[in-house]
Amino acid sequence: MNELILNIKNNEFQEYLRDESRSVGQAESISFPRTIGEVKEIVAHINQQQIPLTIQGARTGLAGGAVPRRGHIMNLSRLNNIKGLRYDAASNTFFLTVEPGVLLTHLRQALQELSFPTATWTPESLAALNQLQQQGPHFFPPDPTETSASIGGMIACNASGALTFFYGPTRNYVEAMRVVLMNGHTLTLRRGQQLVQKGRFTVQTEEGYTITGQIPELSMPAVKNASGYYLKQDMDLIDLFIGSEGTLGIVVEAELRLLPTPRAIWGVTAFLPSEAAALQLVRVARGELIPDLQVPHLPRPVAIEYFNCKALDLLRKQREHNPAFKQLQELRPQYHTAIYLEWHGASDAELSQVALQLGEVIRACGGDEQDTWVATTPYDLEQLKFFRHATPESVNMLIDQRRQTEPRITKLGTDMAVPDRELTQVVELYNGDIAASGLEAVMFGHIGNNHIHVNILPRSLDEYQMGRELYLKWARAIVAMGGTVSAEHGIGKLKTAFLQEMYGQEGIEKFRAIKKLFDPQNRLNPGNVFPAGGGE
Amino acid sequence: MKIIVCVKQVPASTQVRLNRETGTIIREGVASMLNPYDSYALEEALRLKETLGGEVTTISMGIPSVADLLKATLALGADRAILLTDRKFAGADTLATAYALAKGINRLGTFDLIICGKQAIDGDTAQVGPSLAEKLGVPHLTNVQQIKEIDGQRIQCLRLTDAGYETVELQLPALITVVKDINLPRLPSIAGLRRALSQPVTLWTAADVDADPNHIGLQGSPTQVTSTFVPEHQRQSERFEGDASQQASQLVERLSSLGLLGPREGGLSNDQH
Repeated sequence: MNELILNIKNNEFQEYLRDESRSVGQAESISFPRTIGEVKEIVAHINQQQIPLTIQGARTGLAGGAVPRRGHIMNLSRLNNIKGLRYDAASNTFFLTVEPGVLLTHLRQALQELSFPTATWTPESLAALNQLQQQGPHFFPPDPTETSASIGGMIACNASGALTFFYGPTRNYVEAMRVVLMNGHTLTLRRGQQLVQKGRFTVQTEEGYTITGQIPELSMPAVKNASGYYLKQDMDLIDLFIGSEGTLGIVVEAELRLLPTPRAIWGVTAFLPSEAAALQLVRVARGELIPDLQVPHLPRPVAIEYFNCKALDLLRKQREHNPAFKQLQELRPQYHTAIYLEWHGASDAELSQVALQLGEVIRACGGDEQDTWVATTPYDLEQLKFFRHATPESVNMLIDQRRQTEPRITKLGTDMAVPDRELTQVVELYNGDIAASGLEAVMFGHIGNNHIHVNILPRSLDEYQMGRELYLKWARAIVAMGGTVSAEHGIGKLKTAFLQEMYGQEGIEKFRAIKKLFDPQNRLNPGNVFPAGGGE
Repeated sequence: MKIIVCVKQVPASTQVRLNRETGTIIREGVASMLNPYDSYALEEALRLKETLGGEVTTISMGIPSVADLLKATLALGADRAILLTDRKFAGADTLATAYALAKGINRLGTFDLIICGKQAIDGDTAQVGPSLAEKLGVPHLTNVQQIKEIDGQRIQCLRLTDAGYETVELQLPALITVVKDINLPRLPSIAGLRRALSQPVTLWTAADVDADPNHIGLQGSPTQVTSTFVPEHQRQSERFEGDASQQASQLVERLSSLGLLGPREGGLSNDQH
């Protein structure tokens, strides 16, 4: 056996059979390539053995994308160099080249401290670094909650976070990529260079192999979306690979676009006396005009997040009983629904004015300026972030507790988004069904994008089944509203049935045609995006 | 009850960067914030005011921009904020700082309780609180974790010591310094920000508080900083790669080469694997 290929039977590799979705798979071997050359060597081995290949990053995904079916696991965590920096004077923009195993948290730290492993950097990269140091701090905007995510994983599922409301998803910050295809060739994709025109495209690998293809016509929902391939008649081919969940090729290098770090960042958590008041605040904050409501115009927030009354109740309980949550601020009884808003600006003075205007909006929506937490320093913002993360953390802890008595249940977390016009209806749908079913559930998430995570917390296997049925019912309703079944986590292996609901068999076949162009043997990440068994 | 809280502005970063050549803290591009320990002091004062009534005054010595920080204390609920600001105060060590604060507090008139954070996170000396109490001639208690009882005459506190806790009672007026376990500081509200807009920060110069020029600023500071340095990490780490058995072999080899495993023939050796 090739020395890069390690036997998975070794106990220390068992953890690589699972990811954050908590589902467990099977595999026979695993590798940890450190160079693109090694990636190609392993691909050659896979082709020779004719076995399935599952690609892994940091295994923080929630849809089981990194969980192997069988065959070989290629774990990219050691392909993790920050390779260089480019400065484009024309657009006054910096681009950082990284390997897929770089973790978001390490990338952020390096950018914050302007400290990079420059030993192998070219003189051009070093000159760009010098320029960056002169210009001041820059950041990479995509902000999934899980900062131990890898850049490769973020590209695979086109990751999003709270700041996506303003800055958009990962896609918007990937300028170029190198991808190893299943034929062992390397494809370089650079934004603006491989354009699809009227559905047709032709690309050439570095080794000189030409791929010609047709992008099928498909109507993608006009919402934040991470379901299936990105397909448009006039598009950039790089966008096909971003969000394709590793099914078309192995991303071995990416050039990321950076933005200047805002001088001032303010976050406000506003507690409203009712859900209706909170929804009204959301609509005003994102710029909708509401008849008969006289409010000042607010600049566009970078994030609008939501916590429903059940989520706040769960946090109240955790704060009381769990020492890990003692540092949560007190949630007063009148706090019904919470909306978190964040603004980035040029100065504290500017954002202080925004906060006062927000106060007026809160009052107009029936709230009280007193019932707000304002964070203006990194220290206080960290507190509000802790509060935001405490909800999913609490849910996971509760489910782990319940699994001790009923191991077959898992958390049922939705990830669906609808168009702006459907916000009130979708909240009503969730609330009505949860109340009627008697299930325990909390809701939170990126309400600015009408992207609410409903987390059903089953207490028994019966409830778990009921929850699954509700989930499917919601998926159908949301597709009918013009929404998406996954807005940020991706389809992975757990949501393929929902993808079918969204695009129908016909749509799935269109995806499969694309898949065949780049991976005719269907060896790469089998089970991701496409329903189990199909085409294998 | 009249409560005074002493506050300090510190760099708002958990990762302080040092200039390795000069050994000084890099402050460029680093925002500033209220010393976290002082936020516990302010919170405790606000809670006392909420239960006992009275007023809370915050006081600081610093450059004019510290007024913004004091504004933030008003937004949190302080009734009044005083900034001692004057070029003559510049370069003060802990002694000169305590003197200047004492002069400011004297001008404020009578008080019942002064609360300070146990130390500032940038200097870490923990000297200003006790020095200030001495200058004012009032009793003080450091590292207070809980105020157990308080009335107009006395205060009883639970104090953290190296060995555990002790309960100490002081006659008021007095000064205490508090540790972070004492409470969870609140965040300001928009209502607080709005209220603070109409409350000015009072600026006092050295002359305003009748400070003796020989006791303030660089001139009043006996502390001399002869050199500063970045501590070197003594520990070094080495990483072994490969699967578990390869890593174990490498570890044994490395430990043997350092003479930490004794003679090879008597201990672990490769052929015994």
